[in-house]
Parts: sequence; structure tokens; C-alpha cells
Amino acid sequence: MQNEPVRVLLADDDEDDRLFFKEAFDEIKIKTSVNLVNNGVELMKYLTQKSTQLPHILFLDLNMPLKSGMDCLLEIKNIEHLKNIPVAIYSTSASEEDIEETFVQGANIYIKKPSDFRTLRKVLEEVITINWQYHTSGLIRENFLLSI
Amino acid sequence: MNLRTIIRSSYILKSIFVISVFILIFISGVSYKHSTALSESPELLNKSYNIQIQLEKLLSNVKDAETGQRGFIITGDSAFLHPYYSAHASVQRSFIVLKHLTADHQKQQANLDSLVHLINLRFNYLDISLKTASVLPVNKDQLEKNMYRGENIMNKIRFQIDIMNELETGYFKDHQEKYSHELYFTPIITFIILFFSLVIFIVSFIKINNDLFVLKKSNEELLIKTESIKHAEVIGEFCITLWDMDSNSISYSDNLYRLLGCEPQSFEPTIENFLQFVHPDDRNIVKTGAEKAIQESKTYARFYRIIRKDGELRYFRSIGKFISDDNNKSKTHIGIIKDITQMHLINIKLEEKNRELEQSISELESFNRVASHDLQEPLRKIQTFISRISEKESLTMSEAGMEYFEKILTSVNQMRTLIDDLLLFSRTYKAEKVFETTDLNLLLENALQELSQEIEEKNAAFTTVQLPVINVIPFQILQLFTNLISNSLKYCKPGIAPVIRIDCEIVMPNGYPALEMNNQTRYYKISITDNGLGFEQKYAESIFLLFHRLHNKTEYPGSGIGLSICKKIVENHNGFITAEGKPDIGSVFTFFLPE
Repeated sequence: MQNEPVRVLLADDDEDDRLFFKEAFDEIKIKTSVNLVNNGVELMKYLTQKSTQLPHILFLDLNMPLKSGMDCLLEIKNIEHLKNIPVAIYSTSASEEDIEETFVQGANIYIKKPSDFRTLRKVLEEVITINWQYHTSGLIRENFLLSI
Repeated sequence: MNLRTIIRSSYILKSIFVISVFILIFISGVSYKHSTALSESPELLNKSYNIQIQLEKLLSNVKDAETGQRGFIITGDSAFLHPYYSAHASVQRSFIVLKHLTADHQKQQANLDSLVHLINLRFNYLDISLKTASVLPVNKDQLEKNMYRGENIMNKIRFQIDIMNELETGYFKDHQEKYSHELYFTPIITFIILFFSLVIFIVSFIKINNDLFVLKKSNEELLIKTESIKHAEVIGEFCITLWDMDSNSISYSDNLYRLLGCEPQSFEPTIENFLQFVHPDDRNIVKTGAEKAIQESKTYARFYRIIRKDGELRYFRSIGKFISDDNNKSKTHIGIIKDITQMHLINIKLEEKNRELEQSISELESFNRVASHDLQEPLRKIQTFISRISEKESLTMSEAGMEYFEKILTSVNQMRTLIDDLLLFSRTYKAEKVFETTDLNLLLENALQELSQEIEEKNAAFTTVQLPVINVIPFQILQLFTNLISNSLKYCKPGIAPVIRIDCEIVMPNGYPALEMNNQTRYYKISITDNGLGFEQKYAESIFLLFHRLHNKTEYPGSGIGLSICKKIVENHNGFITAEGKPDIGSVFTFFLPE
């Protein structure tokens, strides 16, 4: 993993958000390969392709047309070879219901999209440096919502 | 007076009747005894007289025999012997009569026996004298001797008869005395009894008369009540059914027929006949209801439709109760059937309105949520782009440009606060009210933690007391503490470090009109006092209104929603919040939470 870039996948329907996401990773020192998909349907299609190399971490927007992030999360957790991918919820809102539901359905972390680019960079950097193997085993509700 | 008194008085009347019967029987017994005593008296007199006569007769017979014998002895003519011979038979007859008459007196019988003996002896001497005189020559000495002896016995006979006469007179006298004694008491006893009976009769009469009066009055009342029930049935559109479970007979009040659109009592009151009017789809409800009622001895409210005789559809509700007499023997079912059509139609309308209302509320909520959410998205992007530009292009931009950029950023930030608060406010409204037993001390600590940056900046000092552990919606109370304390921090006097005090005490709802409405006995009164800017007391109510602000936006940024949220949260907990302020001295925010 030292030499190999961290494979990051983002599913978000908003073009600007995808842009910020990509730019933020470009400015991070850690070597990453960022993949972007435009909605839930595309995401599931991408993940279930045989040729796809699975991401190390998946960033999932909740509010997407056709197939919402919640639907994707449910599907992923029900597919044997996908259910171990760490999922970071990446959403504009941080309503109690959304946080509660995604936590119950097995998401690993909840990120409220920051309104400041510097913060965004910091958040994303922190998320990809988390040792997920360790983090997943001790998932606690209190730490679920990432606060910077 | 009521029926129970009459029933009790009927018992009294019954006992009076029994007592009277006994008294009458007693009176009859006494009278009978007295009348027998009265009728015995002359009989007894007659008897005594008879005995005396017979005794005289006996004596005269003996004398006759003696006279005859003497005549014969002197003259020698046997014609003188006739009375002598007949005397024997007469004496015997008298004896038999006397024996019979004195049968109930032993002493007199003994006397009679000795009299018989004496008379027989006398006759014996007479015989001997007669024999002596008829043998010639007459032995004069012997004759004289016999005659003297005879005379002697004759004297004894007289004496004996005198004794018997006296005894008889004595008996009669005794009896007479006893009789007159009894006669003396008879009228007194009779009078007492008569008086007593009269009293009883008068008492009974008064009692019966009274009861009759009460009965008449009760009857009148009953009549009025029956009439008023009939009218009530018509006015209230209900009717009463009675179902005697023993005889399985049913009676329907007139109004049932009217409710069904029929003439009163125009068909036989049976369940089958009633079912004819029930909507075919609902017949089972009525039928099984009746069966279930019999099985369980309990009636449940039932709703069903009725098709009246004229074809009009009505909605009925019936309910009933089993009642049994004191001995729990005979059972009757009283049923009330009510025409609830009007109410039902209103209810349906109300339900429709309610549904519409609920729908519009939920639409409004989702609108609120979507609007807030979707508004945030572009704002966030504007903010990100601004941060991007100010980071990358700061060197190439003019000073004025940078200043404008700062102003854009301030406006955008304000907009975000507004949207965030609106979202929060709508959430407190919608509020999934999950109450949990929570330690308020922990919530306060968390609130202070959240505000730690500001507290540090302003160098604020806190004094707190021990807070209770109560049943609340935790995140809402946390919000409440956060909002109130952040308010105190925000509106502090420039240059003076805020001093904030949190107090708590238990109070009764008396004296707080807003609390008296709830059925809660005790409240926690928690107050947050600061030394900040305060406010005019006239604004104490209006500061809780949505978007209401007392200060300039540029001086004190805010949305004007925070205190509205506080008010809503406290109301969600069935509590109540007030504010008190003095300009330049400080303000006190007090909220009450039920224990």
C-alpha cells in the first residue's frame, strides 16, 4: 500500500462538488487515484463490473437522482464482495435522521460537506489516512459524524 | 318520600295486622269464658233448688210412711198402709235423682250415702214395728221400744237433711261470689282491649293514609318522569329497548319506531323484525352483537346503518347494560339506540378536514426541509468558491475587490445561519418526541462544551447549581441550554466579562397561570441570569416571536429564530418560558419543566 496510490471513488451528482473533490485531492500530498461517478445507478454499475478494481474508500452523496446514496448503501452492504469497502457519507445536510439511518445501515463515517475549501482538504486528508481496518472494528456512534 | 319507605311501612302494617289478629283471638277467648260462666249460673241455682226439693220430698215420703204405719197400728185398717208402701218406691226415685244431681260433689255424695243408710234403717224399724203390731196380742213394750228407736233415727235423718241443705246453700253462695267477682273485671278487660284495638286501628289508618298519599305522589312523579323520558327520546333522537332475558321478551319504546320511520308499536318487537331495517351489510354486526351480549353478559357499543321505511340511510349507535334484581335471579337488558347520523356526518367532514390539514402540514414540512436543504447547497458552493478565490487570487485582486468579497462572504454566512436555524426550528416542530430520563447536568456540560470557544473568547464566568435528572427530549434540552447561554454570551456589555448564573428550584404551579392548566403537581424552575445588555421589559413577550430582533444585524448577527426555538422546545415538554430584562443590568430567562 505504500507505493500503490489510494483508490478513492466518489458518487455525486453535483458537478461543482465533484470538481472541489478532485481539486482537493490534487492538493493533498498523499498519492491518490480519484474516480468519479455521476449518480447511484452509475456507481452500482461501476462497482459490479468485473474489470473494476475496487476502491479503498467510497465517498457517497445521499441526495442523488435515480438512485439515492441510501439505496446504494443498502445494496452495497448486501453484496458479498462489496460490503467490506469503507463507506464515507458525503452530504450537504447533517440531519439527525440521515446520520442515524446511515450509521445503522453500516456506513463508516459521516462527513458534512464543508463550506470552506481549506476545511474540505483537511477533512478528506484525514479520512483517507484513517486506518479503516482498525476503525471499522470499533465503530462508535459518537465518533460517526466527523468533526474538524 | 320514596318507595323504600312505603315498603318498610308495609312491613309495619303486616305486623300490626298479625298483632291485631292475636288480640282479637284473645278477646274472643275471654268473652267466651265469661259467657259460659254467665250461662252456668242459673243452671247451678236450679240444681241447688232441685236438690233441696228432692231432700224435702224424701223427708215427706218418710213422714208419709210413718203416718201410714201409725194409722194402721191405731185403727188396724190396712187402707192406711197404702202410702206406707208407695213411699218405698218414691224414696228410691228421689235417691236416684239426688245421686245424679250431686254427682260433682263428693262430700254431698258421702252425705247422701249416710242419709240412705239412715232412711233404710228407719224403714227397717218401721217394718219391725208393723210386724210387731200385726201379731196379736200386741207386745206393747217391744212396739214402744221400736217406735222410740224409729223416732230417734228420724231425728237423725232430719239433722242429716239439714246438713245437706246447708252445704248446698254454701256451694251456691261460693259460686255466686266467684261469679260476681268475675263479672266485676269483665267490663274493665273488655274496655282495655277495645281501647287498645281502637288505637291500633287508628294508627294503621293514619299509616295507610300516609302511604297512600306518598304512593299517589310517587305515581305522579313517575308519570312526569315517564313523560319526560319519552320527550327526551324524541329530542335526543334515541330510544330505549328492554329485553327480559327470562321470558326472552323484548319491548321497544315508541321512539324506536319513529326513528325507523314507522308508526309507534306498528310491528312486533323482535330482533328479527328490527334486523329488517338494518343495512344488509351491517346485519351481522347487530346479530353477533346480541349473541355476544348473551354469552358474555356484557354489551359493547355497536355502530351500524339503518335503512328507514322511507328508504333514508341513517347511522345508529347502540349500547346497553344488563341489570338484575337484588337476588340476581331475573335479568333484563336495557339498551339505548341512538341516531347519530348528524354527528357521524359532521365527524366524516371533520376527519376529511383533519386529513387535509395533516397533509398540508406534512407538505409544509417537506417543503421547509427541501427548501432549507436545497438553499444550502448553492450557498455552500458560493462559500467554497469564495474561499477558493480568496486563497488563489488574493494577490491579483484590488483592495476594493477584496472588501466586496468580504461583504459577500458576510452575507452568505448570514444566509446560512438563517437557513440552519430555520431548519432547526422546523425540526423542533416536527420533533419525534422521544423522552428519556436524562441528567440535565450532563446536557448543560455538553452545551458549555459546544460554546467553549466563545466562552474562552469572552472570558465568561459561570456559577451553576445541581440540576435534576428528569424525563426530557435530550437533544432539545441541549439546544435550549446552548441557545440561552449563547444569547447571554452574545449580548454581553462590551468590555465587561459575562457572569452567568444558572439556578434551579422546585415550585408548585400555583401562581403561574400558564402552568395551572396542566395537571402537573410540581415543576423545576430553571433560570439563567446574566449581567449583559438586558432589554426593556415591554419586549419580554415579543422576543420569543419568530424573526423578532431587538438589535441591529451588523452589531449582533443572528437569525431571530433562537428564542422561538427555545419557546417551542419548552412547550414540547409541557413547560413554559419567560424572560425578564433590565436595560444595562442584565436579563433572566426562566423555564419550567414538569417534574
